[in-house]
Amino acid sequence: MPRILDRIMDGLDIETFIVCSSEEEGRKLIIQLLKDWGFNDVDIVFSQFQGPGSRIRARAYVHRSGDYYGWLKPLDKEDSMS
Amino acid sequence: MNKQKIMLIPLDPVHDVGLKMVRRGLEEAGHETILLPPDLPVEEVIQEIAKSSVNTVLVSRTLGYGVAEILARFVDLLDAAGIRERVKVGIGGMAIRPELAAELGFDAGFGPGTTVEEAVAFVEDREYVEAKQRTIKHKTDFTIGYSYAYRHQGIKEKLDRITDMILTWAQGKTSPGVRRAEIRDELWDVHRWRDYEPMAKFEREYVKHSDEMVRNFYENGVLHSKTRRFSKEEVVGLEDYVARTIETMKVPQLSARAKPLVFNQYGTGCPFMDIGHIKVSEAWGADGVVHFDPSWGARTEGLLDGFLTHEEDGTVLTPANLNRIKRALEESTLWQIRAHRGLNTPETVVLAGKIGADLTKINICYGSLGAGTDPARLTVDAIAAIRFAVKYGMPFDVVTNEELCGVPAFKAFAGMLITAALGVRLGGKPILQPLFCKSPEVMVGGQMTDNYVEFNAAKIMALKEIVEAPIWPGAPVGFLTQTEDRVQSSASTAMHAVLASMLEVDAVTIASADEAYSGGPITVPSKIDTLRAVAEALRFYGHTTIAQTKQMEIWRDEIVTGIDKVLTDVVAKGDFVQALYDGVLGSREDGAYPGRSGRDTVVKQ
Repeated sequence: MPRILDRIMDGLDIETFIVCSSEEEGRKLIIQLLKDWGFNDVDIVFSQFQGPGSRIRARAYVHRSGDYYGWLKPLDKEDSMS
Repeated sequence: MNKQKIMLIPLDPVHDVGLKMVRRGLEEAGHETILLPPDLPVEEVIQEIAKSSVNTVLVSRTLGYGVAEILARFVDLLDAAGIRERVKVGIGGMAIRPELAAELGFDAGFGPGTTVEEAVAFVEDREYVEAKQRTIKHKTDFTIGYSYAYRHQGIKEKLDRITDMILTWAQGKTSPGVRRAEIRDELWDVHRWRDYEPMAKFEREYVKHSDEMVRNFYENGVLHSKTRRFSKEEVVGLEDYVARTIETMKVPQLSARAKPLVFNQYGTGCPFMDIGHIKVSEAWGADGVVHFDPSWGARTEGLLDGFLTHEEDGTVLTPANLNRIKRALEESTLWQIRAHRGLNTPETVVLAGKIGADLTKINICYGSLGAGTDPARLTVDAIAAIRFAVKYGMPFDVVTNEELCGVPAFKAFAGMLITAALGVRLGGKPILQPLFCKSPEVMVGGQMTDNYVEFNAAKIMALKEIVEAPIWPGAPVGFLTQTEDRVQSSASTAMHAVLASMLEVDAVTIASADEAYSGGPITVPSKIDTLRAVAEALRFYGHTTIAQTKQMEIWRDEIVTGIDKVLTDVVAKGDFVQALYDGVLGSREDGAYPGRSGRDTVVKQ
C-alpha cells in the first residue's frame, strides 16, 4: 500500500457526477473506477440517478476496524511531511 | 515595533470587505494605511505604489476567474517598475491559495479563513503564533440546577406509588449481574489494576457469577471469537499518535450557545479506531462522546478484559479498552458509557465510575421491552445500577428507544418517567432522553406528514409540563429521517439539533452523515459532516425562538394525558414488573416484547 494511503483514517470517498444512462450504469462505472485505482474493499454509499446522470458517492475502505492501521505507525522525519 | 505604511489593494471588481477589516486591525495596531478602491487597472495600481512610500502592500482577490493571470501580471509589473525589492507583498482573499501565492513569488498568501491578526503579524514581520486554545472549554454537569420538582401533581403521586412498588418488590432480590457489580466495586481496585497488579481474589469471585465465555477468558485466556488482542507495536503506535494529536489539539466551541451540548457516538468495534474518531470529534467541537458496546455484550454475563478489538459494530467493554479511551480524551470532553440494556448494567456503571466516565445510561423499560433483557432481571439490576451511579457521581440518561420498536411516545415516556422517578428517589440525577425521531408511531399516525417540528416539540413540551428535569434528546436526533445522501443526512441532523436548541434542551446526541448507510463502518469524515452542519445551523439560528402552535399544544396534551393513563394502569396492576410483562408500558401489538435474556436469574439475597 502506498504510504499516503496509510494516513487515511478509515475510508476514502469519491463523490462525483457520472454522465450515464441509468442508475445501474453509474454504479457499475464508479465501482470500476475504484477497482482500476487498485481498491478492492469498495462500496457505493449513495447514488441518485436523474436525467443527465448519477450523483454518486463511492467508498474504498483503507482501514476497517480491527485492521493494522498505517496511521498508528510512528512517524519518522521523512514521513512527517511537515 | 516600527510604524509601517501599508497600501491595501482590492485587485477585484467589487470586493474589499476583507481589506477593510484588515485596515481596521492595522490602524488599531498603530500603522498608517492607504486603501485603494476596487477595480483599478493593474497599471494604475502599480503607479499608486510607485509614487507612495509604503513598505508593505496587501492585495486581495475574491473572484476566482482569471486570478492567476491578473496576479502574475501584477508581479511582473512590480518587477518592471523596480518596486518589488522595496516592498513586501502579501496576497489574500477567497480566491487565494498559499500554493498559488508561493508560485507567483508573493511574500505571503492568505487563503479563506485568515484572521486579521495573521495579516497584522505579516506586516509587523513577526511570526504569527496561533493561540493553541482559542476557546477554553470546561466540562459541564448539565444536571446542576434542576430541582426535579413535579409540575403535574397527579403524575407525581402515581410515580411515587410506583417507585414504592418497585423498591418493595426488589427487596431481598439480587442477580448475577448485581453480584458481579458488587465484586467489581469491592475487590477491583482501578489503581492496582493500572499498575498491573494481579487481581486473583477479584477474578476468583467474579467468574463464579459469569458465563462460560467469560470464565474461559479469565481461567484459560480464551477470547471471544470475534475479538483479537492488539500487538505491542500497535499499542506503542497508539500512544505515539495520541501524544502527537494532543500536542496540536484545539478544542473549539461548537456554538456560542451554552446549550445544547452536542454529543456524538462512537463504537467502531476497535478502541484504537474509536480514539481516532473521538479526537476528530473533539477537534470539530463535539462536547461529549457516547460509548457503544456490541450487542452480544448485553447478553453475556460478565465482562472481559484486555485491549481487544472487535470485528463488528460496538466496542467491547473491557477495563483496558475504556481506560485507554479515557486517557485519550480531552479534559473538557464529557464521556458517557451506556449501561442500560443488558446483563451487565450495574457492573458497567461501576466500571464506568471507576475508570472515570461522566455519564451513564439506564432504562428498565427500554432495556426489557426493546433490548431483550428480562424485565424482572433488569429491574433488580437497574436499581443496583442507579445506586452505583449515585455512588460514583454519574448522572444517567433514560432513553426511550422502545419508540423505535413501535411503542408510542406516551407509553415510552411513562416508562422513562418511572425510571427517572426511581433514580431521584435513590439520590440520582436522571436526564430525560426522549427520541427526536420519525418513529413507527408517527409513520402510522401521520403526525409528521407535514413537518418534523410540531410532534417533536410537543414531546419536549409535555415533559416540561410534567417535571423540571434536564432533557437530552437523542439518540441520535433525527433518527429515521436521515438517508444515505450525506447532504440530506447532515441537514436533517442539523435541523433537529436546532429544533432541540430552540426548545431549550440541555444536550443532543447527533449521528454521523453515514447514519443511514449500512454497507460498512461509518467513516470519520461523516462525523465531521454533521458536526459542521450542526455548528452552522446553531450559528444561523442563534437564540431565535420557535412559535408554539395549536397543534403542538394538542399533541402535548395528548401525550401528558396518555402518560397519566399508563401510570394509572401500572398503579392499578399493583406490580411494575408484571406491568412490563403484560404490555402496559409497551405491548406486543405496539412492537415491544419482554426480553428473555437473564430470565429466572433473579434470586433471593
